[in-house]
Amino acid sequence: MNIPLTALKNGETGVITSTDLNSEHIGMCGHKARKRHRGRHFMVARFSKRLSDLGLTPGTKVTVVKSAPFNGPLEVSVRGSRLAIGRGMASRILVDVER
Amino acid sequence: MSSKHFRIALAGNANVGKSVIFNQLTGLHQHIGNWPGKTVEKAEGTLHFKGYTIDIIDLPGIYSLSTFSIEELVSREYIATEKPDLVINVVDASLLERNLFFTLQLLELETPLLIAVNQVDMAKKKGIIVDYEQAEKILGVPVVPTVAVSGKGIYRMLEKAIEVIEKTTKMEPLKPRYGQEIEERIEDLVILLSKIQLRYPARWVAIKLLEDDKEVEKEVLEVNPEIVATAEQFRNELEQLHGHSCPTVVSCERYHVAGKLASEIQAITEPLTPPLRERLHKVTTHRIFGFPIMLATVLAVFVAIFSFGDFTSALLGDLLFGLKPAFDTVFGTGTIGELIWGGVIEGIIGGLTVALPYILPFYFILYLFEDSGYLSRVAFLMDNLMHKMGLHGKAFIPVMLSFGCNVPGCLGCRIMETTRERLLTAFVVTLVPCAATSVIILGLVGAHVGIEWALALYIINLIIIFALGRIAFKALPGEPTELIMEMSDYRMPHIKTVAKQTWFRLREFIVMAFPLIIAGSFVIKLVEVANLLEPITDIISPVTVVWLGLPAVTGIALIFGVLRKELTLIMLATLFGTANFAQVMTPVQMIVFTLVAMLYIPCVATIGALVKEFGWKKALLITVFEIAFALLVGGIAFRLLTI
Repeated sequence: MNIPLTALKNGETGVITSTDLNSEHIGMCGHKARKRHRGRHFMVARFSKRLSDLGLTPGTKVTVVKSAPFNGPLEVSVRGSRLAIGRGMASRILVDVER
Repeated sequence: MSSKHFRIALAGNANVGKSVIFNQLTGLHQHIGNWPGKTVEKAEGTLHFKGYTIDIIDLPGIYSLSTFSIEELVSREYIATEKPDLVINVVDASLLERNLFFTLQLLELETPLLIAVNQVDMAKKKGIIVDYEQAEKILGVPVVPTVAVSGKGIYRMLEKAIEVIEKTTKMEPLKPRYGQEIEERIEDLVILLSKIQLRYPARWVAIKLLEDDKEVEKEVLEVNPEIVATAEQFRNELEQLHGHSCPTVVSCERYHVAGKLASEIQAITEPLTPPLRERLHKVTTHRIFGFPIMLATVLAVFVAIFSFGDFTSALLGDLLFGLKPAFDTVFGTGTIGELIWGGVIEGIIGGLTVALPYILPFYFILYLFEDSGYLSRVAFLMDNLMHKMGLHGKAFIPVMLSFGCNVPGCLGCRIMETTRERLLTAFVVTLVPCAATSVIILGLVGAHVGIEWALALYIINLIIIFALGRIAFKALPGEPTELIMEMSDYRMPHIKTVAKQTWFRLREFIVMAFPLIIAGSFVIKLVEVANLLEPITDIISPVTVVWLGLPAVTGIALIFGVLRKELTLIMLATLFGTANFAQVMTPVQMIVFTLVAMLYIPCVATIGALVKEFGWKKALLITVFEIAFALLVGGIAFRLLTI
C-alpha cells in the first residue's frame, strides 16, 4: 500500500517509494499557476535532494516515531538517525507499508 | 619556514563534535568571522605542533556537498578552490552510514583526506564497534579513532595528518563506484569534461551534472553548453530507467555504497540498557509534557538572566558612574569634559551594563542548550507555531533570543538555511520586544496605566509580528522552506567549547555594537551641547504632537531611544523632571508612546547587526519601514483611543 509518510501511525515502519514530492499537479493549470509551480518545482527538487542527502532515499526503511503536538512535524528514525521533518514535506514522501 | 606551514580543514556532519575537535586543536588562537560576502561563520585557528605551523579551518557542519544551503556551497568551494593541504573528515562513530555518505563525496572531490572517527565511546555504549584497520584498508585513507571531549586520539590524529601531508605514508584513496548505468554515463561525461578546464575534478563535475547541480551546471555551460545538454539527456535516461529523479538515484546509490562500507567496518552488538538520554528525549518532545517543560525552561532562563542581570547591571553601573568625580578632576566640568563623559564614557558604560550582565549569561546558556541538543527539540515543538508567520521551527531560536536582545537575534538568523529565510527571520526578529523595550512597556504603561494594558501591548506586538511575518513571507520572492533537521542524541555539553563560543560571540557583540553606541551617544551629546535639541523637537513636532498626540519633548526621548531603547524612558524622566509619568502624560499618550517606541526602529546596534548580515540596503529598508509602520500604528492608536 502506497501512502504518505504522514499517514503512518506512531511506531509504524514503511519503505520509501518516492521522495520526489509528487509534482503531479504541475502542468494541469493555467499560465500563472504554472509559473508559480516552476518555482515550486525547483524547491521540490531541492528538498527531494535534501531528503535523500539525509538518508531518506527510495527503498529505505523509515519509522515514524511520533509527531509533534498540534499537527507539528514528524519525528522519524532512518538509518539509525533521528530526524524532524515538517508535515508538509512529510506528506509528500510516499511509503509502502504492509498492514 | 614556509614548507612547515600547512592548512587543514575540518569537515563533517553537524553534531559530530567537530567544533570540540577544533577547540582542542586551536585553544584560544582562534579567529571567528564570516566567509567573504556570506553570512556563514568562518572559524579559523592556528596550532603549533612539532615545529609545524598549522592553520585549522572549521568548515560548517553539513550533510552533503550539494547546494541545499549556503554552508554546503561555501564548504565545497573552499575545498575545491582553496585546496587545503588536508581535509580531516570528522565522523560520528554511531552513525557511520550517513557520515560515510559525506565522506564519499569528499573522496569524489579528490582532496587529501584523513578520517577521525569521533565519539567512539558513545558508539560503544550503543553497541557499535568500528574496525579502524579494516576501514583504513577499504577507504584507502588514514582512519583515527577519537573522543574529542576528552582529547583522546587528537595527538595521534595530528601525527597522521602530518604524515599524509608530507606523503610519508602512501595511500590509495578509494574511488567510489556507482551502478553500471550511472557509471557508464559518468565515464562518458568525464571524457567530454577532460577536454575543458575546470576548477573541480572532472569525475566530480560529471557526478554533479547528473545530480542536476545548478551551480556546477552554470560553470560548465559557460565553457561548453553541449556537455550540459548531454548530461540532461543522461539524466532523462536514468530517470526513465529508475523511475525516480536523477539526483535521487545518485544519492540512493551513494547511500548504497556508504551502507555497504559501514557494514564492512562496524560490528553491531546489543546496546547497553536504554540510556538516560533516550528517556530525556522522549519526555522533552512528549505530546503533553514537551510544551510545559519548554515553557518552564525558557521562563526559568529569562527570570534567571534578568534577575542576575538587574543586580549586576546596577552594581556595575554604580561602580562605573562612581568614577565621575575622578573623571571631573582630570577633565573638568566644561564642554569638553561633558562631551567626553556624556558622549563617550556614558556610551561605554551603557554598553557594558548591557553586554556583561545580560548578553554574556544569555549566550552562555544558549550555547549550553545548543551543545546539549535541547535547541533542536525546541525547534521541533515550535515548528507549527512558526509556520503561522511563514517560518519554520528553527526560527524560534533567534526569535526567542530577541526577547533578550535583538542583536543576538539577528546574528542568530544564521541557523536558517537560505538567504530568504534568514532575511525573513531577521525582519521578524527586529519586531520582537527586547528586554529594553520591555522596560518601557512595563515601566511606563505597566506601572502608570495598568498591567492589563501592558499585557495588551505585548499581545498587539505578537499579532503584528504574525501579520507582518506572513505578509513578508508572501511578498518576498523565492522558495519557502520547511523544517528538516537532525535531532542528535542528548549529550553532556562540553563546557570549554561552550565557554569559547560564548566568548567569541560576546566579542562579536562588543566589536559590532560598541562603536555604534559610542558614536551615537557622541552625536546626540554634540547636538545637546550645541543646543540643537529644541529646534529638532520643533521640526518633528508635527509628527509627535499633531499626528501622535504626544507632548513635544517625547521627540527627543524617541531620538535617544535609537541608541538603546531603555534610554527613551530615562530621557523622558529627565526631560519631564519626574519619573511619575502619570502627572505629565495621559494614559493614551503613554500607550501611544510605548507603542511607537516598541515598533519604531531597531536600535542602532541592531541596525549594525542587520548591515553586517544583509548589507546596507536591506538594513535601511527594514529600518525605514519600521519607523513608518510605528508612526502609522501610533497615529491610528491615538485616534482610536481618543474617540
